[in-house]
Amino acid sequence: MQMVKKIIAVLFTLWIAFLIFMPKIELYTTLEKELASYDIKLNEKSIEEGFTSLILNDVSVYVKGIKIAQIDEVNFFTLLFYSSFSINNVKIDEAFSSQLPSQAEEIILKNNILSVNTVSVDANGSFGVIKGSIDIFDRKIELIFTEQGEINMIRSYLLNSEKGWLYEASF
Amino acid sequence: MKHLFKPDNLKKVTFILMLLLVIKLIWFVIEILWLSPLAINQTEDSGVKSLYYRIKLTPNSMKAPPKEIKKRHKEVIENIKDITLLAIYNASDITVVTIEYKKKSKVLGKGDNINGFILESAGNNFAIFTKKEIEYKLILLKNKKMLTTKSSINVVPPTIENKNKIEGEVVYDGEVRIIDRSLLEYYAKNEKEIYKNIGISEITEGTTVKGFKINFVRKDSIFEKLGVHRNDVIRKVNGQEITNYNAAFSVYKNINKAENISLVIQRGKEEMELEYEIN
Repeated sequence: MQMVKKIIAVLFTLWIAFLIFMPKIELYTTLEKELASYDIKLNEKSIEEGFTSLILNDVSVYVKGIKIAQIDEVNFFTLLFYSSFSINNVKIDEAFSSQLPSQAEEIILKNNILSVNTVSVDANGSFGVIKGSIDIFDRKIELIFTEQGEINMIRSYLLNSEKGWLYEASF
Repeated sequence: MKHLFKPDNLKKVTFILMLLLVIKLIWFVIEILWLSPLAINQTEDSGVKSLYYRIKLTPNSMKAPPKEIKKRHKEVIENIKDITLLAIYNASDITVVTIEYKKKSKVLGKGDNINGFILESAGNNFAIFTKKEIEYKLILLKNKKMLTTKSSINVVPPTIENKNKIEGEVVYDGEVRIIDRSLLEYYAKNEKEIYKNIGISEITEGTTVKGFKINFVRKDSIFEKLGVHRNDVIRKVNGQEITNYNAAFSVYKNINKAENISLVIQRGKEEMELEYEIN
């Protein structure tokens, strides 16, 4: 029993230490570098690093050098066996109002150790409510508009399914 | 000798510290080997700068003189002697009317002339002619038996016509093309209309944009009046090289605010400049 306690204590220490010493900012800059290879760049006003989280404030999103969105807050949270990525208050640039829904209140991506290959997606905004998933191994995205809002401008990319309007893509 | 700490506890603390150090070292190695220490940020370009600025010479307290608004064809006369409007065909891109002049029927297109009267536009039951800056509105005579509009001629309701109507012109005085601001506002709101009339694609060398090539310009469109031709390559806007998408996009985004625009284009081997003034 004493041995089990010791092992648990060691594992707990390892887990805490992994979280605390995780170079979160460097992981984020590496993600930025990866996104930059797809011509996507993020400019953030400030970065807050916590024990288990990284918060980016006032993030501007650029695609091919063109600013397409402004995000109030991006919050990355991890416990290693469970991670979430929440994006709050996304405003699409007015110049794209005829091509994209104007605003997203919240986009939440979650991943847990029980289904490593799947990232669940929940979002709501001017487009309605989205539920879906991203299959990392199969490189597929499937999003269902369970409630419809302002989606006329993107309807040509959607399929009408039983569950609602469906967006499917591979990457 | 009495120990300050229990040797067993000291051993445990040392072990934990060693463990923490090992994990820190692991992360350090990962950081050095695979992680990027430098943030990548987008530098924001400023928008299109005017080549020159209009300067108010009047003191600030004084009101600027009211802007002269061009009013065309102020006078409207609702009849033309000898001309009777028989039928109208009006679509978004073509306007054709049939008239009776000196007991002979004639078909006129937009801009055609009959006895000095030029067909300017048409609605669902009227046609507008001009002669010497005077506007004449000719009403379709519905009571007459010769109304052929119902059987063979498609009449577009005026509401649709007005909604999609492009107001404004491009006037070329030999050096500078003067563009009505309302045109820019129209195309800013109806982006799809741009791509129907002009096709533009980027020319790249590796990852660097070298310019934007005009693939087609629709005949008789406003874009043709801008003086650009197929296969022209836009190199500079207002002296700034268009070497990235953002530079091109900022031109599009800020075009409503611009008062003048100059384009440096390459036509074949020749480089030339097109100048525009926006009123």
